[in-house]
Amino acid sequence: MHIFMILFPIVITIMFTLTTIPLLVWMERRVAALIQDRLGPNRCNIQGIHLAGLIQPIADMIKLVFKEEFYPKHIKHTFYYILAPGIVFASAFLSFMVIPYADDITLNGFTYHIQALPIDLGVLWVFAFAGLGVYGIIIAGWSSHNKYSILGALRASSQVISYEIAMGLSIVSMLITYNSISLNDMVNFQGQLLFGFIPAWGIVLQPLAGIIFIVTAFAESNRAPFDAAEGESEIVAGYHTEYSAMKFALFFMGEYIAMSAASALIVTIFFGGYQIPWLNTEFMHTHMQLVLGLVMLVVALFSLVFVKWMRRNNCTSISQQKETKFATLFISAIVLILEAFLLYLLSVGMSSEGNAIFTMILQITSFALKVMLMNFVFVWVRWTFPRFRYDQTQSLGWKILLPLALFNIFITAIVVVLGGF
Amino acid sequence: MGTKVVPRYGDSLKDRSYLFALASGMKTTFSKFAKNLNDINAVTTKEYPEVQPDDITDRYRGMHRLTHREDNSVRCVACFMCATACPSDCIFIEAEEREDGVDEKQPQRFDIDLLECIFCGYCVEACPCDAIRMDTGIFSIIAKNREDFVINKEQLLSNRGAFGKENSLA
Repeated sequence: MHIFMILFPIVITIMFTLTTIPLLVWMERRVAALIQDRLGPNRCNIQGIHLAGLIQPIADMIKLVFKEEFYPKHIKHTFYYILAPGIVFASAFLSFMVIPYADDITLNGFTYHIQALPIDLGVLWVFAFAGLGVYGIIIAGWSSHNKYSILGALRASSQVISYEIAMGLSIVSMLITYNSISLNDMVNFQGQLLFGFIPAWGIVLQPLAGIIFIVTAFAESNRAPFDAAEGESEIVAGYHTEYSAMKFALFFMGEYIAMSAASALIVTIFFGGYQIPWLNTEFMHTHMQLVLGLVMLVVALFSLVFVKWMRRNNCTSISQQKETKFATLFISAIVLILEAFLLYLLSVGMSSEGNAIFTMILQITSFALKVMLMNFVFVWVRWTFPRFRYDQTQSLGWKILLPLALFNIFITAIVVVLGGF
Repeated sequence: MGTKVVPRYGDSLKDRSYLFALASGMKTTFSKFAKNLNDINAVTTKEYPEVQPDDITDRYRGMHRLTHREDNSVRCVACFMCATACPSDCIFIEAEEREDGVDEKQPQRFDIDLLECIFCGYCVEACPCDAIRMDTGIFSIIAKNREDFVINKEQLLSNRGAFGKENSLA
């Protein structure tokens, strides 16, 4: 039990990073298609099971794994060339480590942190590794020994000096507000209610810092509209022009993990982390019956809406009709079992430890949903806005975001000192 | 006098904050997304191999064909005009004497390399006898190896026009 509870957050971290990549790739392609009035990948199937195109990322992954590892002959510094994708991937991966997925849980007298790396300097760790990720890009561009790659690397380095300061300063005002640098404390703070009915989320307390941080987080994860380093319409593929097979896939996965990590950080600092609005941990521990009833209601409603949607939209061909029939059966079976289990819990009642575990599961689910929603926003923004030129990114960072962030710190400090919070 | 003062936009704080313009852009894309997600079958994409295109007009330049005379013999007189006009040199003709008295010359060999062909239609323009046409409506040309893309006289003669104008006008 002891070891399980220590390993558990690490397993969740791996799930949040590695196993969400196929999901994110699928989401990116389907959402992009639907925004542009297309269908996106929907042909890939295993024996007629399409899963709305979710088989496609598996096929892509198999292709990338079995592709030839190709080393261009002109590359002199092979060590750096091979190291670069690893740096990008590992730094994106490691920045996820300090995100809290649920409140601290006490089982058998031990208190466990649901955090892969339970340290108090959460924000600093994230910034350290987020800043390191760009080194991978710069090294990749430089060691590729290619004009387009070096242009991509130059753009990445010009971009990193433009957003990092505004990002750090926007966080400083949040640190003043929360009076802590531990991400866990921040999320606990956001469990309160403002004036008795608004959740005290960071975005409500500090909307300006929230906007600055979200903008800089887009730049930090190297995604549109700040993907000048990749700039596929201008400089081929930027820093990863010379990469193929799994080395390319590492860059690709690194980008999606960085996106996930940025979403997780935005959610943790500004959107209440794992907190379910109006239901903080103590409330859930004391009113478990109510929470159970709510969960049953939400699960039933959500599955009904989903099944209805699926029956309306997945019905044109015979294989689709078959799949819909099967999926309807499968989902109703799962939902029925879940509802029966919840009803059993509701009627029998739970011990305090059962309460704690159930609360933890709910909080992890809430966090996952919020991160997925934030990832959707990332995708949505990518397919809406045109790319910033790198000097535009710089003037945005230095002339607009930096003064605004300083102004925000100033105001926050005055309010905190004079208001005596 | 006579000058029209055009109002300039973009100087107000609302415009310079960009956030409202960004929000309206995101609203547009989200409404598209929501509409298509709600009714995915209304998306106009055709699922190609199962659903064939229905909008190919008679001016579409598809695979070539050689037209026939009224007695179903080859219309071509092997004058080499098409091969001369061809910008990509993909037409290979060998002429022979025509023994049946209908005309003096006919192609013994008439090959078109469809991998070289750029489907410009110059051969159709150049032909004095309306003997070569591209009105078959065949847009998808598939073969297993490079040699099979070179189609010969028999294949060209067996292609039929897709738009009803079967016999040659010349």
